[in-house]
Amino acid sequence: MSVDDVSTDDDRKKNRYDFDRHSPQYRHQLESIAQQMHEKCPVAWSETYGGHWVASGSREVFELARSAEFLSNDHDIRGERRGYKGISIPTPQRVASARGGFLEMDPPEQRYYRQALNPYLSPAAISRWIPVIDELVRASLDEKIETGRIDFVDDLANIVPAVFTLAMMGIPLKNWTIYCEPMHAAIYTREGTDEAARVALLHRQMGIDLATQLARIRADPRPGLVDALLRLEINGEAQPDIELFGVLGLLIGGGFDTTTALTAHALEWLSENPSERDRLSRERDTLLDSATEEFLRYYTPAPGDGRTFSADCEIAGQQFKEGERLWLSWTMANRDAALFPEPNTIDLARKGNRHHSFGLGIHRCIGSNVARTVFKRMIIQVLDRMPDFRCEPDGTVHYDTIGVINGMRHLPATFTPGPRLGAGLEETIDTLQKVCDEQGLAEPVTARKATAKIEG
Amino acid sequence: MRVRVDPERCQGHTLCAMIAPKVFELDDIDGHSSAVSEDVPADAEEQVREAAHTCPEQAIVIF
Repeated sequence: MSVDDVSTDDDRKKNRYDFDRHSPQYRHQLESIAQQMHEKCPVAWSETYGGHWVASGSREVFELARSAEFLSNDHDIRGERRGYKGISIPTPQRVASARGGFLEMDPPEQRYYRQALNPYLSPAAISRWIPVIDELVRASLDEKIETGRIDFVDDLANIVPAVFTLAMMGIPLKNWTIYCEPMHAAIYTREGTDEAARVALLHRQMGIDLATQLARIRADPRPGLVDALLRLEINGEAQPDIELFGVLGLLIGGGFDTTTALTAHALEWLSENPSERDRLSRERDTLLDSATEEFLRYYTPAPGDGRTFSADCEIAGQQFKEGERLWLSWTMANRDAALFPEPNTIDLARKGNRHHSFGLGIHRCIGSNVARTVFKRMIIQVLDRMPDFRCEPDGTVHYDTIGVINGMRHLPATFTPGPRLGAGLEETIDTLQKVCDEQGLAEPVTARKATAKIEG
Repeated sequence: MRVRVDPERCQGHTLCAMIAPKVFELDDIDGHSSAVSEDVPADAEEQVREAAHTCPEQAIVIF
């Protein structure tokens, strides 16, 4: 490397920012960091985590996210290709045994997986499940409705996405408890602590159940996402189990904590803004859709994703070199005043809300229709059955760091008690299991178009 | 007003169908959007402009 090489490299990286999104400070300084970066360096080089680019400007994120020919999601686990490190920055300490599903694949392989799973997750596919989702919400609220106290995370937002994801996968619903805690705890537990050891054990138990279910469904097929993955052939070949586990991990990881995070944050905000809450309830027919998109924008549950440049290129006026890492910050792009007037204010009726919370381009979150539907069904019932809920700041626990998921651990609230409407959660889950099995609810929309029917 | 959705750009965000449900229909299998008809009824023009503005992929073309 010559002196010239060094000086042109320095020049290329002249827009710098010391960016550490895993620090507790980031959560509190997010707005000012975003503003500074937007003003000075919407694409910036940061020396943190081995050195990486950070894109925070909406225009730059748009151009980068859509430059799939220059940006790779690949995670080259066994060093068989170009050694790229996937979508996590920094690369997690525990060595990955598999890629994080199709989110860590490039086309054409990535495309085959999405095509296999689309018929289970499309808007038409998800809307068939609404009666099931509504029953899960009803039962979760029924467990607490007479007491006047609830934790919106532990008692509602953790439960419904978990049970519903298992239903779509074709895994017995009652197993939700094996999956729920490790999935949430893995996000906020610090590596190397005693707590981490306990969470690792829960994770292993979850892994064992997943392996058991895969084997069971392979031997004795039942419809759902697992079945779709078992049937997937690329160039005439079934995919290795290790890759299927990576995909299932992605679906569970994507399906649980993100929707929980969105719902908890929205309920917290609605509690703090009761006149807006009442307005949302009254005007839900015209306001719920835009309010959902606004909560997505403001809270951005999945804050960003990593990429690796697969070639030297120039995008949005910045030169990049092959192998360099990039963090696409959906969170900060969502606060860009150039795209969102008064970006740090929640406007339930916001127009032109082209937010980035499900990503952009070919890796758009495949679960986006699940997220929107489950969120709305939870919000509607909370507004109807506990309209005066008040969240308690004292017991409220946000994640310390929001580098991975912008989430919450606890959100206790009080409300005027109300009547139960039906059976409790355990009994409801048993009933729904029968409904799923009898009606083949987890079939793809190509096989079954009908909406779920729940008697009584 | 005429409208079409660029199938190369559309990624199935579904915002257009939320804003202008009579103009945009979503594929059952992947949720990607297409215009029900190229011709936009006069009373839907404002919605279509809003949908085009709101598409995260900027996939909606008004012509």
